[in-house]
Amino acid sequence: MPFWFLLPAILITAGVVLVPVAQTAWLSLQDYLLYDPDNARFVGLGNFARIARDEVFWISLSQSFVWITGVVGLQFLLGLVAALLLNQSFWWRGLARSLVIIPWALPSVIIGLMWTWMYDFNLGIINDIALRLGLIAAPIAWLARPDTALYAIMLALIWQGFPFFAVTILAGLQTVPAELYEAAEIDGATARQQLFYVTLPAIADVIATALLLRTIWVANSLDVILVMTGGGPGYATHTLPLYAFLRASSSMEFGYGAALALILTAMLLAVVVLYVRRAARGIET
Amino acid sequence: MERRTFIKLAGASALSIPLTAPLARPAIAQGATTVRWWYHFDNPQHSPAELVAKFEAENPGIKVQAESIPWGGGNDYQTRLFAALVAGNGPDCAMVRLSWAARFQQMKALAPIDDLIAGWAGRSDIADNIWKLNKGADGKQYYLPLQYVVLYLYYRQDLFEQAGLKPPATFEDFRSAAKALTKADVSGFGLRGGSGGFDHWGPFVLGGGASFDKGGMLSEKALAANRWFVDLTLKDKVVPASAPTDSFRQIVDSFKAGRTAMTIHHVGSANEIVGVLADKVSAVPVPRGPDGKGWTYFGDESNAVFAVSKAREAAFKWCAFLSTAENNVVLNKFTGQLPIASSAAKDWTLHPKRFVDASAASLPFAASLPDSPKTPDFIARIWPANMQRALLGQIQPDEMMRAIEQHFHG
Repeated sequence: MPFWFLLPAILITAGVVLVPVAQTAWLSLQDYLLYDPDNARFVGLGNFARIARDEVFWISLSQSFVWITGVVGLQFLLGLVAALLLNQSFWWRGLARSLVIIPWALPSVIIGLMWTWMYDFNLGIINDIALRLGLIAAPIAWLARPDTALYAIMLALIWQGFPFFAVTILAGLQTVPAELYEAAEIDGATARQQLFYVTLPAIADVIATALLLRTIWVANSLDVILVMTGGGPGYATHTLPLYAFLRASSSMEFGYGAALALILTAMLLAVVVLYVRRAARGIET
Repeated sequence: MERRTFIKLAGASALSIPLTAPLARPAIAQGATTVRWWYHFDNPQHSPAELVAKFEAENPGIKVQAESIPWGGGNDYQTRLFAALVAGNGPDCAMVRLSWAARFQQMKALAPIDDLIAGWAGRSDIADNIWKLNKGADGKQYYLPLQYVVLYLYYRQDLFEQAGLKPPATFEDFRSAAKALTKADVSGFGLRGGSGGFDHWGPFVLGGGASFDKGGMLSEKALAANRWFVDLTLKDKVVPASAPTDSFRQIVDSFKAGRTAMTIHHVGSANEIVGVLADKVSAVPVPRGPDGKGWTYFGDESNAVFAVSKAREAAFKWCAFLSTAENNVVLNKFTGQLPIASSAAKDWTLHPKRFVDASAASLPFAASLPDSPKTPDFIARIWPANMQRALLGQIQPDEMMRAIEQHFHG
């Protein structure tokens, strides 16, 4: 009987999640142009075959891996360091904890615009400081060079996202019993040993959940790239979700865009399964 | 009255009710027609409320529901509009661009409005060449012109005078001037390789002989013109290093900051630039190609009445109202573009005269992009990606032209 109590939730989930997913899957099998809906035709796996031959897809896919691993990895490291520092006792800790959340609280479009101006070739503060310090001899067009553009955007997103890890890990750190550290100190453990043998194992679950969630978000994020370079110069900052968006939005090729989005979804499914398993384990315990 | 006569009269009256009822229906039962209009202004603080109130006072039977839609570089507005029309929830009329016309026609979203335009008194107040530019591919009129801008060349008067140069009239004048003005921290030309940059490419490549007709991007003249344009960056080095991704904001700010000596834009940025550079800046039409022909982008904004509208005539009335002299001036105060009505343009004082003159002088060779459903994708995706790769030396300029040719003609 209690199973039926879940029915409304299941129906709502089906309505807002499963139906759009099914629609996307159906669209991916059609040659559907938004401005020519009457001539939509079923092409089976035709869109996927075209994707396999699409140079821009492969460029976007490889850059997506750099994007996800670089951004999530560095956000995690920075967040971990910030959390460890904020877990220490110092007189302005309350203020520091509030300040660290600011980047996370800002909208992505604002982050994109802010960093675009910081990187600006003529007027940007980054070139200005680097020139004054003598680190560079001439301004660098950070966002117009294919060798720097992707990393420049990644830096902006790392800055925006590290507070998520900092706050999540800090919450985890505060659940570690003080007795563990006291015992470790009595046993003569150094600070480094305490970190690796006490702290990290104690918050492993928190870290894993945060990493899984953030991987999904970063893999899907495209707003900062769209604002900062629009995917350029050339295809230098194209990632898979951005490419899917451009094909669906600019080209209005909803069928092709849906097929690209479906491939991204399938790739993220492994991460989603891991996340759901962890969440289910949490419920069982 | 006899009983029988009364019954006859009553019966006759009862039978006549269905015929007379429509005429007898009181006027109060007729609700006001509502016109939904989508628009976008760069400055979201500007509101058309004043115009709406004036129109509603002049047309008591019509209510205008003006809905501001985010522009998002054009893509957001366009996608939302098409999606709303496909979903059957589109507005009655909306601000539109010429480059979208072919897509609208493909989805049969527009119906000709020639009959309504013919009966509109303000028709003759709009120049014939603008009506011609606004025509659909089949010669019918689907759009009602609203405002326009024409791309011209901004140049630093003071720097040109110091260097003993005249404003460039030909491509070679332009390249020589750009080279002469390029110094350590100043570039001769603020080239726009990012979003919307086709309007910098057009004057030199379309003006140099390329066309959107089949094979038009691959003719010798077209390929040579594109190589020449790419060489401004790769060989002549007269543009800033950031040019491949520079967009509107970057080219205007660099010009204002004295980092570039020339750039291409329209009257919409004139007041902002004059605010910083005052008399140091002026404008001329973009340079002409070797054969004397020129090409510059006609930046349009029109209103379209959609075929599904149940208030077609009321929607047209509202659009016509906005294109009528006095109202057109008020609207253009909000948008910063030029009024479409000739009588309004005559006494236009919202921009310095030299920029309005440069716009007018450019009109004879101003053109829009092809009336093709593939044009918006060319603007947003094909041109920037290939142009940027060519400017960075990742592909040859001819490869870029092949990509454009393939996009339009397969």
